[in-house]
Amino acid sequence: MTTETPLLEASNVDFAYGDVTILRDVSVPIRSAAVTALIGPNGTGKTTLLRTLAGLQEPTGGTVAYHGPEAAREIGYLPQQPEFRPGFTVLETLAFYASLVGGGRDEATAQLERVGLADAADRPVEALSGGMTRLVGIAQATIGDPPLVVLDEPASGLDPGMSKHVFSVADELAATGTAVVLSSHDLELVERTADEVVVLDGGTVVGRGNPAALCDQLEAGSLETVYEESIVGDLSSVRVQGETA
Amino acid sequence: MTGTPNSVSEDVASTDTDADVPATKSTVATEPPDSGSRIERVVVRELRTVSRTRTFVVLGAALAAVLVGIAWVGGGVRAGFVPTVVDLLTPLELLVPIVAVAFGYRAILGDRRRGELDVLDTYPIAPRELVLGVYVGRAVGLLGTVVVPLLLVGGAVFVGREEPFSRYASHAGADSPILFARFVALTALFALSILAVALAISALVSGTRSALALSVVALVVLLVGLDLALVYGFTNGYLADSSLVHALAVSPLSAYRGLVFESAVVTASGTGPRTASPVASLLGLASWTGASLAVATWAIQR
Repeated sequence: MTTETPLLEASNVDFAYGDVTILRDVSVPIRSAAVTALIGPNGTGKTTLLRTLAGLQEPTGGTVAYHGPEAAREIGYLPQQPEFRPGFTVLETLAFYASLVGGGRDEATAQLERVGLADAADRPVEALSGGMTRLVGIAQATIGDPPLVVLDEPASGLDPGMSKHVFSVADELAATGTAVVLSSHDLELVERTADEVVVLDGGTVVGRGNPAALCDQLEAGSLETVYEESIVGDLSSVRVQGETA
Repeated sequence: MTGTPNSVSEDVASTDTDADVPATKSTVATEPPDSGSRIERVVVRELRTVSRTRTFVVLGAALAAVLVGIAWVGGGVRAGFVPTVVDLLTPLELLVPIVAVAFGYRAILGDRRRGELDVLDTYPIAPRELVLGVYVGRAVGLLGTVVVPLLLVGGAVFVGREEPFSRYASHAGADSPILFARFVALTALFALSILAVALAISALVSGTRSALALSVVALVVLLVGLDLALVYGFTNGYLADSSLVHALAVSPLSAYRGLVFESAVVTASGTGPRTASPVASLLGLASWTGASLAVATWAIQR
């Protein structure tokens, strides 16, 4: 049991595109040395929340406060669909990003080894598979050892083995003290890896806590059941914020 | 709404933290680079992009062929430097903006479309540093593409001219390589100002089609629209005769043309009407460049 200040704290966050409300009164503490997973149906605001947490967009209401240590790079970010400038090798690409925080090829190589892509260092980024590109994206997100790493669907489109590997990387990052926030639809891996799960539905938080505690709360056998019982409405149709809310 | 079992996750978090943080954190003790170094990193990235993009190489080769061809066919190579300047000026008024736009219109847009602008936002690099780095990197590539062919033409004139001084007998020495060098320098400044405009477009738009469309609009405005506006202002009395040479500075194309005439052509002939205010024209080109880069920076920040 700790009472430590969260590394990042989103308080009563609202986000709207004009009249279309995406997030409503979302409060989420992000703790160091833990994996926080956002789960929820498509179109429910996970990416918007992650981008807000990463500081890439200002909330239209509420606050996001960073309480972590000063660092050359405070937040690492993996976009939902990572892409890199063509014409460069994987190592050149990561070395460029590393150079912006005072690192170089050594750090780039170290991050590549962490995600298991060292053998692809000299491959042009445009010649990578989708899964490999995502791994390079994760390596990029960890450049400079930021205290907080935000990963938007890091396992999307990956085979089961690669997905497990990505979650193990997230787990390893948390084990080194990094706060990891990720979104995923792979509830089994989330249940196995996440220290805290945030269930989003219709732009609001409808559940939050340790996977086991969430299961206990709802007397559910798995996180998948928690998900099904927490989400209101038809699970087979995409929520379009502002249309169905 | 919000779940509340915070204590459970906190226990997990504290356990992991206590056990592993000091042992496995792979922090590399490095000093963050200063602003100049960050700009340099972006410049190098842009230079590599330019050097590895076949389109730019082809563009450079085509421009060289066209310019050498015009100088050769037009007789400038045999006539001397100033006749060559006169031969090349009009084609360059069209070709330089096109080449400059080709170098710049996707420079920032590409990073935006790939999501790399978002990623770069999480690194300690300011938008103005990014814009400056992209601009300098692309500018080096553009100058190589524009200046090298002109130097080739200059070399051809130097070797191939016939009786250079008799042609300007009354102005002996006027047909000088220095005048051609001025022309090359002014062409470079013109190219740099259009590149800045292209970069601003690249930062403002979100799609390749809109970038192309806006680039065409910008080219029309820069190559035709502003000149037409000046003509309209002059013929309708909004611009006084005395202010025309200063007003030309508003249009980068007119500023360039006026500067070339003023510093290379009229100088060589020794007489002729005043064609530009050099200070105003240079300020005009600098203003277009500075304002465009400011717009690009703002567009990235918004």
